[in-house]
Parts: sequence; structure tokens; C-alpha cells
Amino acid sequence: MQAGWKAKFLLGLSLCLSALGSPIGEQFDEQLTLKSLRDGKVLSRFSFTTLLKGASPRNPQTLGSDDISQHYTIFPLALGQILREYAITEMHLTLNAGNWNYDRWGYPEEAGVGTGAELWAWMGDGPSDTVDDRWKGLRNALAGLFCASLGSLDEQRTTAPVRSFEPEGNLPDWGPPHQIRHASLASEHVCTENLTPFLKLLPCKSLSGIASLLNPHRLFDADWHGMGVHVLWREGEGVEVRLAFQSISDPVRYSLGRKQDWDFRTLFDRTIDRKCPVAQSSHVVVALPTSAEFDISPEPTSNAAGLATFDVATLNKPLDVGLRWRFDFQYPLDFDSPTSSLSVQRTLRGSSQARGQLSLVLKNHRNTSLHVVYLETMPWLVQFYLHTLQIYINGSRNDDAMSDMTYMPSIPHARPATFQCVLAVPPGGALHLTMDVAKSFLRYTEHPPDAQRGWDLPPAILTPFDPTSNRSANDPIGGRIYTPALLVDLATPDFSMPYNVIIFTCSLVAFIFGSVFNLLTRKFVVVHIEPTKDKKE
Amino acid sequence: MEREVARPVPPWARILNKVRQRLRPKNATETRIRRRQAMIGLLTRRLPWLRLALFCVGYIWMIIIPSPQLGRGTYIDENALQPGQWALNCGQVNTYWSWGDVHTADKYLAQLEVLRDTNATSDQRAQFVMKEFHRLGISASTQSYMFSARSGRREGTNAYGILSSPRTSGTEAMVISASWLSRTGEGDGTLNLRGVSTVLALAGFLKGYSLWAKDIVFVISDGYMDGMHAWLAAYHGSSQSNLEADRLELSSGVIWTALNIDYPGHSFSHLGIFFEGLNGRLPNQDLLNSFQRISRYTGGVPVILYDHLDPRENPGHSDLPSWLPPSIRGQREVQTYAYQAKNVARHFMYQARGQSSGVHGLFHRYRIDTFTLFALPATGPHGFHAIGRIVESTLRTTNNLLERLHASFFFYIMTGPDRFLKIGSYLPSAILVSVAMMFGGLRVWVDAGWKVQSGSEKPLAGSSTNTTPLKWSKRQRPVLDVLCIMAFTHILGALLFSLISTSWYIEHQTMASPLLFMLLAILPSIALVFPPNADPHASGSRSSVLKALNLCIASTVISIISVLNFSLAALLAMLLGVPLSISSAKGPIHIRGLKYAGYTLLGLGWLLFAKEQARQAIWNWQILSVWFAPFACIVYVPLVLQAGLVCLLPPDS
Repeated sequence: MQAGWKAKFLLGLSLCLSALGSPIGEQFDEQLTLKSLRDGKVLSRFSFTTLLKGASPRNPQTLGSDDISQHYTIFPLALGQILREYAITEMHLTLNAGNWNYDRWGYPEEAGVGTGAELWAWMGDGPSDTVDDRWKGLRNALAGLFCASLGSLDEQRTTAPVRSFEPEGNLPDWGPPHQIRHASLASEHVCTENLTPFLKLLPCKSLSGIASLLNPHRLFDADWHGMGVHVLWREGEGVEVRLAFQSISDPVRYSLGRKQDWDFRTLFDRTIDRKCPVAQSSHVVVALPTSAEFDISPEPTSNAAGLATFDVATLNKPLDVGLRWRFDFQYPLDFDSPTSSLSVQRTLRGSSQARGQLSLVLKNHRNTSLHVVYLETMPWLVQFYLHTLQIYINGSRNDDAMSDMTYMPSIPHARPATFQCVLAVPPGGALHLTMDVAKSFLRYTEHPPDAQRGWDLPPAILTPFDPTSNRSANDPIGGRIYTPALLVDLATPDFSMPYNVIIFTCSLVAFIFGSVFNLLTRKFVVVHIEPTKDKKE
Repeated sequence: MEREVARPVPPWARILNKVRQRLRPKNATETRIRRRQAMIGLLTRRLPWLRLALFCVGYIWMIIIPSPQLGRGTYIDENALQPGQWALNCGQVNTYWSWGDVHTADKYLAQLEVLRDTNATSDQRAQFVMKEFHRLGISASTQSYMFSARSGRREGTNAYGILSSPRTSGTEAMVISASWLSRTGEGDGTLNLRGVSTVLALAGFLKGYSLWAKDIVFVISDGYMDGMHAWLAAYHGSSQSNLEADRLELSSGVIWTALNIDYPGHSFSHLGIFFEGLNGRLPNQDLLNSFQRISRYTGGVPVILYDHLDPRENPGHSDLPSWLPPSIRGQREVQTYAYQAKNVARHFMYQARGQSSGVHGLFHRYRIDTFTLFALPATGPHGFHAIGRIVESTLRTTNNLLERLHASFFFYIMTGPDRFLKIGSYLPSAILVSVAMMFGGLRVWVDAGWKVQSGSEKPLAGSSTNTTPLKWSKRQRPVLDVLCIMAFTHILGALLFSLISTSWYIEHQTMASPLLFMLLAILPSIALVFPPNADPHASGSRSSVLKALNLCIASTVISIISVLNFSLAALLAMLLGVPLSISSAKGPIHIRGLKYAGYTLLGLGWLLFAKEQARQAIWNWQILSVWFAPFACIVYVPLVLQAGLVCLLPPDS
């Protein structure tokens, strides 16, 4: 009741004040961060944050009764309705295309960079609807909202890996503990039909402000792009929705391999012509290169600690920020040497359709040893043989490098396997983990229409942490690391000739049935035959 | 009733009645049994003729495989491929490979020639290639390997680079490769410098486009076959006891298609397709057809099979022997036949021995469709410009694939670059021969179990044909003895195989081969220690039972092999079909000895006359796991020796 009154008050207040400018109770900030990478590419990260001040997530205990009415000015209503309908405390949805190259590009600013779609949510337990029912509703609602095949993130892909997905915000204390649900779909292709609903959640759409740079023609030509919707609750502040878009563009490619210069025109083919009127702050931040000589235009609003900041509200429009180098671009010799503290290589080897071997190689580039939480959420298509798990440190067998293993085996046609363990990689060393796997034999109706392509397996997730710190995985070093997805070839019938197969099988069955039927119904009698003259044998 | 009689019976009703009477006579069962007996009798009596006919049809079929009437034009089955489609839509040949890229390739070539002239080691070459990839911004690495076969060690270093395609998960990949040694003379030492520089220039060129849906892996493999074999084994994690190879530092997704570029000369006039893989495996024909179309229509370069120039398009060139009268040689049909026969013979030569016609053959075992694109050395007119455009367009075609190439296009015989035979048009030839052999074997089997009695003796009880003039009595077949003899010959074959795969044999081949030949020729005669058959009425002769089983097994082997490796089956049908059918124990002992010598020569002659091929086959087995050598020793040689023993064993009296 009190919450309802509060909301009505807020609504009234915001209605009164919205005419005057930025509303109270809802705050919208936008920021674009641009960074030139060592291999000539440019990382751009758009971040649009809407804070619903003083609000809190819906308590699942109240799911049976009517909810408070929702009146938002800036906060996306379509998303808000879903969050309250299913009482979601924290939710993260990412839709990415491409492999994030940690070695070249370092850690991303938004940690969720796994290929394809990934959805995870923290939910409190409630009396009326179970967590799994609400999870199902959530993914279907989001599938409709973002035009993505999130509906196929069903029980066969859902896991509950608590250690690798700690909540980013706070979880309210409602009595029963919160639960996590996580699912990913590596084969999801992300494209412009996902961006359009994403833009609709923004208060200024892509008409003004930084969001006007979100030009699908250029974004989807980037080497890597990913969008994310993050909802979390910060105690004392309110519910925060962060819409993020990251992309890695390659100006060297656009300039035919000569220059790594970029500006808004080359990167997005647009400039900022108007500011977004409801934005509290609207900044473009450019990380300045340290080594080379360059020119930046226009003059930044502020310049500190290697970061040039442009205030979109005050600068002259149209705004076209650009960075120009004095010299032509050449790949530095160390462009491929790793920038992250950990390099990961995960492969599925073996060309047989029945067996294979999963191989994971971790290389520690630091001079202290590194502890990593290794998580595999494997669909039942591929089954682990845990007894064949072997770990080699710098080439010699050492199974002690693994600890804290939990394993939940898969159930065919129902549940994926969850394999989680802590791996210790010595300083400057390499850890090689191998495990044999069995590839399932599918029912013929379970094959997708492009049966001969194979099945995408979700990326493994590695979370480095410092074991000396008490908070363990809460304090990750650099955040989650996603390995590339894998493609597995299962035994596949030749669907290109179903009629031949049907004809052959039917003929065979008819032949066998006919012969057996004939023998069963035939009457055997002795017939005396007089030999004829021409008979010799 | 009366009215019906009164009415004249129409002629059609009379015919119908007659037919009905014929079909359903009163004593239907008896007629049927009689008819069946007559039929079987007819078949049994005419069996030699039937077999002859089957043999003739089978062999003639094999001869007419290259005939222009039998094949059909190639077509593309997989719709996703769309070769050169975007060129057709634009109404012009629209590839982006330009003269600037040709210049880049020329510069790489100059650097590679310096490496060649300074006798750079494998490692230096690989380091150079890796550095060039790095300069292009492509992740690259090297891999050292060492094979230790019985015939010696082979080591080298591969270099490879992986171009991660933008916006894709990197789970699929395609390979462009060039081996350091060209396939000219099966890797006789001709360098493939232009092939390597094409790959390097393509790497820089392809990186400039964001349209790739699959990772592109560039491999510069060392040596001829060995380098790529080591690389593929490491990529797929397959281990081999005689191979020590580094783990690959970089990895990509599942490889679906690959292109192997072989450009040994200065310029080229035609692009040749080499496609036979190890153990007789062939790539999906869609890939070859797409390339053929792209090369002809986008690149403007004529495509040939292997390095065989088409005499119809190159008038100075003729495949026909010069002793043929000009009236025959001039005929187009004859020329076509001769040209296609040359292609088919080349194909048979590679496939029957399970040998790969180039580096591409190593990929097929991993379900990767590949072929070698061989730039036929000539004084012109094509060079880097044409090959770059064709490879670019072919890559875009394979880039379109949504699934693996899977339509049933894996069984074919290419008679020309744009003509081929479907499986149904060639497979029956070997099967017919094998059926003829099976009939022969069954006939001998029946004969071995029955004996015509001389008139004075009583017929056996239970014989229903006791009123016929000829009386047949059943007798025992010495199956166990014969099986022992056969097992013995196969063990001998295994022994032969283990001997010739030792390093001792390879070092002393000239001395050891005749020794082995003698040993293998004499040892089977141990089979003669069985005491001769005492009573021909109580049991059949070992010789005929051996022949029966020998023919049946040979026939089965041919049928099975024909779907695995048709060329090998056809070769077996030619080598075994008639010789095994005419083996007999009749005649005086010296004739039979001569026959035995003949069979020994047929089975083991290769020990004396094909030493180089034998070495090659053993190397292929030890390094590349080509099963031709063990198959020849453990299946083919024993089968022929058994036929020899049929002649040597005491005959049916």
C-alpha cells in the first residue's frame, strides 16, 4: 500500500516536473567510450543508464496479489513490466556476435562477451510461482521483446552456476535465498532485428544524443559487436537499467590497410547533431594513445589521466570526434602478444562421430600463480567421461592443480551437465586439461533443419580470483573470460535422400513380411511328379 | 445359359480363356513345380554361358567407361554454393583482386626466391612466413614435426596463420594451403614458390573484407605430403606412433572445405584439378564443379583434369598412338574416347593404390572436402592475376555454405572437367564380374559335394530321382582341410607384410625381394602334405573345394571393395576374375606346376618388378595409413596363391 502511494506520488511529481526538464526520480545518463587498440582496431562502448531512484524489485511473496501500478517517463516500460511480472531482482541479457579476442583487446568493459545469446537472472523464491516457472516466463517475454530465439534457452540449456555469476548489485533480504538461472545459446545470430527493440528502450531512441550514432549499417559491419541489457538493484539507490552496446571496428580495413585514424563519420557514418534533452549527463570519453603522435579534434572539454572527455550538451553540434595519427599504421611486432593475464584455448578434438576429446589450455602471463574457476555448461549432446580427466602442468602430469570440483551430470533430452572446478596455474606456466567425451546419437526428429552443420556448444567460462582474499569470486581479477564456442559433429543421417531411404526400408520390410507370411500360411503337401523325358538332373 | 451359347464368343474372350487356362491349369501345383525344375535345370545347364556373358558384359562395361555416350555433364547440387552468383547478378565479373595484389604477390615471390637461393632451412622459411603473417595483422605460428618411418626420418616446420572472421563465432573454418614442394613428379623437389606467394598475398587481400562467415586458415606446409599430414594430425588431435609434432598454438573451428594451391611454373595456361584422396576417398563433386564454373566464367581460365590437355581444344596434342590410320585418329568420337580414357586411367591409377594425387588427399580423412588447383606450367597467358581472382571467387562460394557439403556427390568418375559418371553407370561392371565369379564358385561347390554314380552301384537312400539315368550321390566336402590351407596362405601373407615393412627389407630390397619371392612360392606347397583323397565317392577333392571357396571369397571381396574404392575393385576384377575362374587341377603334373608358377608370378610379381612402387606403398602405410599395402599382402596375394594351390593339389579322380 505504502509503495503504491509512493509510486503515485512519484508519478504525479514527475508529471509536474517533466515539462521543466529532467524528471526527479528517474535519471538517465549516457556515455560513449572510445579506445584505440594495439592492432589498429577501435573499441567503442555505449552505455545508457537509467536509474529508478528509490525503487526496489518486486518481492516474489507478493506475486499472488496485485502489483503497484507502473508509471515511468524515462525508464523503459516494456522492460519494467516484464521485471515486475516475474519478480526479477537482477537480470543480464547479452547478445553478441563474434569472438572477443582477450589476447589482443584485453578485458572488455562489459564482462558478458560470450558468443551468441546469454541470459542470467537472480530471483527470490516465492510461494505461488516457482523460480523455474518465472524463468521460463522471463525468457519467453524477453524473446518477444528482443526478437531473439531466447525461447530455446529451455531446460536443456538452463543451469545454476552460482560461483561464476555473482550478482553485480545487491540482493534484498526477503527470507528465502535468491537463486540464479543461467542459459546461453551460442548459435544465436545477432543482427539489426535485435537492435531496433533495443533502441526503443532508450528515451531518445536513436534520434538524438549519443544514441544517434547507433547506425546499424556500420555497427553490424564491425569485427565484433554485442548488446547487453543489465538490470540490477543497488541498495539505497534504486533499480538501475543499463543498456550497453560494445563494438570493435577496424578503421585500418576501411582505409585499405594504411591508417588507423577514426572519427564518428568513419566509425558510425553519423555525427551527433542534437543532444538528448532528458539526459542528465552525456559524455564521450576517448582513451588517448600513449606511444604515438596524434591529433584529436575538436578540443576536448577536459583532459585528464590519458582520457579526453567531451560533453555533448555543451559542445558545438554537429559533433564529430576524431583521432588522427601522424604516421601510417603498421602492426607492431607484439600486436599478438597477450595483454590479459590469462590466455585460453579450448578445442574439441577428434574427427570421429562417436568420441572426442575436450582440451583446454590455460596460460598464465603473470608472475604469480593464478586461480581460476572453470565452468562448463555442456548440453547433453556431449557427455563427459570424468575418469579420463587429466591435467598437465608445463607438460607433466599433475592432477593436484584441480580442486573444488562439482559435477552435475547431464540427463539425455532433459538437462545439461554442469562441471565446475578451480584450477591453479603456476606463474608463467601452462595448464593443459583433457577429457574424453562421448557424442550422443540423436533421435532423427531432434536434428535441426541444417543437420549437417553440427551443434554449437556454449563457451566455457573462466573466472580468475585471488584465493588469499576472503571474498573469493566476488573479487575477480579482470572478470569472467569466455572461451570461443565449439561446433560438434554428431552422427547425422543423410537427410538429403529421405525418399530413397524410405523406399529401401519399406521394400525390405515388405519383403521380409511377405516371405514370413507366405511360410506361415502355406500348406505343405507332398506332390508326386512323373519325370519327363528332357529332364537330366 | 442357352442364350450365351448361342451367341458367338468374341475373339478377345477366347484369347482370355486360353490365357486363363494356361495360367490356372487343373494341376496347378504340379505344373508350377515342373516349371521351377525346368527353369533350374535350364540355368544349371547354361551356367557356363551365363558366366561367360556376365564376364563379357562386365569387362566390356569397364572398357566403355570412358565412352562419351555413358557420362553426363556436371551440375551443381548444393544450392547454397551459388558459384560466381554475385558476379552474374552484377552483369560483370566482379572480383576485387587487383593488379596491386599481383604486385604484392610478386614481392613475396622475390623474397621467397632469396630464401631459396640462400638454401634457407625449413625453420627459417617458416619463421619468414610467420613474420609476414604478423606484418599483415594475422595471428600466426609455426609447428615443427618429425616422422620416423622405417625408411628414414623426415622433419620440417609448418607455418600457419588464422584470420578470424568478423562477427562469427569462429566455429567453422576453411583452409587455403600451399606445400613448399609442388606435386610435379609427386613431390620430386620442384618448389611451389608461386603457390606460397599466392597464399601470402591472398592473406593480406582477404583480410580487407568483412564478408567472411568462416575463419580462414592459411597453411604453408613443409615438404610435400608430410608437413600437411603433421599439421592436420595436430589440428584434429590424432596421434600416430611414428610422428612427433608440436601442439598447435592457435586453433580455429571445424574445417569444412579447403583449397590447395600448386603453382610451380612461371605462368600457366590451364588450371588442373587433382582430387583423389587417400584410400580412394573423393571430395564432394559440388566443390569441383563450382571451381570449374568459376574458373571458366569468372577467371576466364580453362580447366582440365590433372595435367591432361584436351586434344580437341589443343590440335597439336594427341593422346592416340601414331600407328592408327589418320582416318580413325581424326574422328572426334575417337579423340574424345582417347582423352577420357586417359583421364579415367589416371584416376584408376591413383585411386586403386589408395594414393593421393596431391596434398589435398590428406584432408579427406577428416571429412574435409578439398582438391588441388594445379597451375599447368606454360609460357602464358595467365599468372597471379587470374589465380587470385579464381581463388577469391571460389572462397566466396565455399563461404556461402550453411552446412557441410553432404549431398550424395561422393561417388563419381570424372571423365573430363565437365563430364562425369554417376555411381550407377560404373559400379555394375565390377559387380557383374564378381557375380560371375560367385556363380562359378557355387557351381564348383555343388560339384564337389556330388558325384555321378556308375550304373552298377545302388543309389543312396532318400534320393527321389532314382529313375533318372544318371545317379548322383552325395559326398563329403573336406571343408576343414581347405579352411586350414586358406588360413595358412593368409598367415603367409601377413608374414610377408610384416617382413616387407621392416627396415631390414627396405635396406636390402634388391637382395631380399627374390628371396621373399622364392620363399612365398615354395611355402604354400606345404599344403601338399595332406594325404591324397582316398575315395572320390566318399569325399570331394580338396582342390575343388578350395577353388569354390576361393572364388566365393574373391567375389565377396570385390563386391565389398567396389563401394569403398571402385578402382581397386575394378583392378581386382581384372586381376582375379578370369585367372581364378580358370584354375583347375586337370592335366599332367608339369602343366600344373607351370600353372602354379604363373599364379605365383601374378600374385608376387610385384616383389620383383615393382620395387619402387612397393617401397612407396609401404611408406604410405606407415606414415599416411593407406591400407593398400596390407590389403595386397593379406588379401590379394593369398587369394592368388590359393588359385595356384588349386592347380597343385591332387585333382578329382
